[in-house]
Amino acid sequence: MAGLPLLQNSLLVGALLFVLGLEGMLTRRNLIVLFLSAELMLQGISISLVAWSRFHGDWGGQVFVIFVLTVAACEAAVALVFVLQAFARTGRLDAAAWQSLRESNLPRVVDHELPAIDDLPADWPKLSPAGVQPVTDENSALQRDHV
Amino acid sequence: MNPVGLPPVSSGLLVAGAVTAAAVSLWLLLPRGSDRHQSRSFYLTQRCGMLLGVVALAGLATAGRRLGSLGEDAVFLTVSIVAVVSGAATIVSRSPVYSAIWFALSLAGVAGVLLVLGAQFLGVATIVVYAGAILVMFLFVLMLAQPSGLAPYDRVSSEPLLSAVAGAVLLGLLTLSIGRLSSGTLPSRAGAVETLATTAPAALDPLEDNHVARLGAELFGRHLVAVEAAGVLLLVALIGSIAIVSRGELDAVADRHSTASDAPTSHTPTRPEGIA
Repeated sequence: MAGLPLLQNSLLVGALLFVLGLEGMLTRRNLIVLFLSAELMLQGISISLVAWSRFHGDWGGQVFVIFVLTVAACEAAVALVFVLQAFARTGRLDAAAWQSLRESNLPRVVDHELPAIDDLPADWPKLSPAGVQPVTDENSALQRDHV
Repeated sequence: MNPVGLPPVSSGLLVAGAVTAAAVSLWLLLPRGSDRHQSRSFYLTQRCGMLLGVVALAGLATAGRRLGSLGEDAVFLTVSIVAVVSGAATIVSRSPVYSAIWFALSLAGVAGVLLVLGAQFLGVATIVVYAGAILVMFLFVLMLAQPSGLAPYDRVSSEPLLSAVAGAVLLGLLTLSIGRLSSGTLPSRAGAVETLATTAPAALDPLEDNHVARLGAELFGRHLVAVEAAGVLLLVALIGSIAIVSRGELDAVADRHSTASDAPTSHTPTRPEGIA
């Protein structure tokens, strides 16, 4: 395993994940998806840190990623509590439900009427029924070669 | 040290093309309010977006360097493509539940990349902590709070074109600057890089036996104070979230009582003095 090519490729993957998370953060409006995007950015950063740690041959990057994990866990706990509180107050997981907090010179987010959703599947997948007594034939039951 | 095979990331044209394809692909795939999900145009848009995404990934993979042997290349490509593709699916999924599931798959890919990089403990910890704990917590909240069907705010996205362009510019700059890294231009530890690059893989061998022991020694040796601080941070986050929840519940109960009747609020639970 080589040093510099592995470093560059890993940094490229980290950059891709970071940019994807950034775009999710910028475009989506669901609060949960916003937090998932933030976690995606953290993943990209983690990959970059571990790649540098591998390249330089010391443990600093890996130790830092452990702290990133810790802070991410704290952040998720506190943020999800806030999301639940926000949901309890507005009934929506919508970031734009809190747009009264925006700067006064920014335009208001206006929702337009959306076309109806028609992507429900025609027939949902079915599970075979459980808990039904199987029909057994007494003659063949005696002749079974295994139980 | 020398890259084998394909040329390094010096061809700016290739990077620009790949990044543009990625931006257009994301723009096509991101939810827009006018989607009619069984219409032909929606189908075509999705397929074009996926095709452009594949083109962008192929371009970026070509821009990357060869790792040395075919097996290493194949493993790294597989896990990183899993991570990136499911990361993209995370942010373009209409349903947030699907987003969370795609994010779990992306975490699996990230853990694979970390394992390839020789960070065994972090790879496992990513799966256990993120996919096992944090993601399940997200799913709990989703199941508590998600309305049935797709909410209108899940079917629109704000400024998909501008953000796709911004992300493409950022990705292009990052890719070009990553491609210009070489052992000569690396700023830190100049001169030591050459020796490090030869000794480092041995020092951080992925198959090393006492990897976790050495990581733990480093963590509880040089970084002991930081570990203690992280423990305090976890405790504070725990107490804080519980306090916010209990206070919010009291507020909600108080609201319900005060709006339900104009009667004197003798039944309204009064907040204990200790909780501000």
